[in-house]
Amino acid sequence: MVILQRKELTLAERLYLPEILRGLSITFRKFFKKAITRQYPEEPLPKDEVTRGQPRLVVKDDGHLACVSCGLCEAACPAYAITIDGHEVDRPIEREPERFEIDMLRCILCGFCEEACPKDAIFMSDELELADLTRAELVYGIDKLKRPRSALQKRIDYVYRINDRWRNSSSTP
Amino acid sequence: MTTPESTGKPTVKIQLNGSEVEADPSQPLIRACHDHGVDVPMYCYHPGLHPVGSCRICQVEVKQGEAPPRVVAACRTSVAPGMVVDTESPKAHETRRECLEFLLKNHPLDCPICDKAGECDLQDYAFQEGQGEGRSSEPRRKLHKRRSLGDVIVLDEERCILCSRCVRFFEDVTGTAQLAVTGLGARSVIDTFMGRPLTGNYQGNVADICPVGALTLKRFRFQARVWNLTKTVSHCAECSRGCAITVEVLRRKQVKRFRPRFDPNVNQYWMCDTGRFAFDHVEIPACEPGELTGGRLTDAVQRGAHGVAGQGVAGSGVGARGLEAVDVDRALGRAADALTGAAARAIVLSPFVTQEEAGAALELARTLGAEVCFVSPPPNGLQDDLLHTGDPCPNRKGLETLGVPGLGADDVRARLAKAGVAVLVGERVQELIGLERLAALTGGVRLIVLDLVAHDLPGLEVALGVPCHVEKQGHWLNVDGLRRDLAIARSAPAGVEPLTRLLGQLAGAVGRPAGATAEVRR
Repeated sequence: MVILQRKELTLAERLYLPEILRGLSITFRKFFKKAITRQYPEEPLPKDEVTRGQPRLVVKDDGHLACVSCGLCEAACPAYAITIDGHEVDRPIEREPERFEIDMLRCILCGFCEEACPKDAIFMSDELELADLTRAELVYGIDKLKRPRSALQKRIDYVYRINDRWRNSSSTP
Repeated sequence: MTTPESTGKPTVKIQLNGSEVEADPSQPLIRACHDHGVDVPMYCYHPGLHPVGSCRICQVEVKQGEAPPRVVAACRTSVAPGMVVDTESPKAHETRRECLEFLLKNHPLDCPICDKAGECDLQDYAFQEGQGEGRSSEPRRKLHKRRSLGDVIVLDEERCILCSRCVRFFEDVTGTAQLAVTGLGARSVIDTFMGRPLTGNYQGNVADICPVGALTLKRFRFQARVWNLTKTVSHCAECSRGCAITVEVLRRKQVKRFRPRFDPNVNQYWMCDTGRFAFDHVEIPACEPGELTGGRLTDAVQRGAHGVAGQGVAGSGVGARGLEAVDVDRALGRAADALTGAAARAIVLSPFVTQEEAGAALELARTLGAEVCFVSPPPNGLQDDLLHTGDPCPNRKGLETLGVPGLGADDVRARLAKAGVAVLVGERVQELIGLERLAALTGGVRLIVLDLVAHDLPGLEVALGVPCHVEKQGHWLNVDGLRRDLAIARSAPAGVEPLTRLLGQLAGAVGRPAGATAEVRR
């Protein structure tokens, strides 16, 4: 057992008022500085090209999805958020997804799907908000996931640039 | 795979990657390598077909006698005594890598679309051994991507590496020689003679043996990615041959493929298309909403207490046809009551029941003093010289070994007509007897049905759901008396009990006095 000896308070400390004034002085100084809080929903967050939001599917300029439902994002997904069923189509690209679902409640926004995709069909958009009334509505299908290529262009350019840099600095031949 | 030691054939000693091994001189060198766990890639070579040595990917370095070592194709070189084989020498690797580069020269880069991706020999070896980027600046050749070769197979000419396995399959195995390599040089393609579609019951095998994704099955095309399929070792149910297969299930629910598995005593590497596409017998749709019959029976149904066939009882929860859904315990109790009170009882088995289930049924028959038989449908006309026996009963031999006689559908009906209560056991038993025969039964026989589907038969007393053959364990005996084991490839629908357990509980319940069996306790 240890008996703790409390420190004897000085007179200034026992008076209490000087300490109050010292604290308030910090408060008053902050009044005249620039506020760092953000009025979030009204004042959206700044979005940069490195913003890694929710994954979205690219719609090519011809109106078709770039996805061929190869299933690599499904296999790469560490949270098992993606489910894909493909079907045959009559175009030169023989397959497209019939069902492409991302369970946004499972998605951890890691970007592995973007990295795994061999067809540049899925990219992490700058969309961040995720709220709905039921769990079922947060399982996003193709309708909710598809975006025109132009909407994702900033991220696509960034990913290309980063990959090029990685490729050039890579030591493997 | 049998090693040369176990077959008792004469063997010779060779040096394989530094260790001395015994090899069968009647076999090509690549077999000796594979038998001793040395991985040599192969595209054109297939152990079930004659070797041609067209792809050259199996080249290894061999030194014989005093001559300097040479790089030879392991599939076209016979094992000779004193051979010194090095599969991993720099020269062998280099030669194989160069072969691979030429094979990939015109191969399209459509692995993301290709159904073979994930089980493709070319993809695997290119990943393991090949270089990341091609050196050719020439465009790849453009050919037909989707050529239908009959009802079963689609050919993608661009993906084809002209290994000619499919050509040799139709020469060596079926003997019909329906495919050939046509054209010369870079314009060579696989084609049928005169463009006629492929025929026969063994076409599906060429999609299995195709080392790339050139030949694909129409029924499986773009259905699933192969790494999403759970593969279970089992046996085919479509005839009494009982070919060794793997059952491949997508997301633990849907059976997507049956593929042959090597079995030296029964089917070698092959299976027929009847068995390959027998999904109708395992993918039974659920009942229509509000219906209890006509779809997969997941629990149990019984004739309502006051229900009469064709009449519902208003306000009693009894369905429009006098049937009601009950839990398994109550249904078993009802069945036991019916069996206990009856004078003449009969048990009819399906030819799909396993030996274990047949044993449980015989136990029930002993308790009841009932006669047992199994439905034996006539040959279905699919018999051929290769695998299909034409007999749709996978466990005929096993049931006959147990002393259960097989009766034709009409004889079964005659036997049922004489019984007071009959138990119909096993998947598809009603279908095999014939629904119209069961519906036309006179004499007030009450039917206790243990089947995949309940049908609204006038005599139906109780129907219980059972697992189908990809959902149960057990074994059959095939036409030659060989044991054919079944394994659980996917779980049965919730509420479905194993048939052996249902029969065991029924046998336990009928021994007790009537009335005391209203509910079977587990």
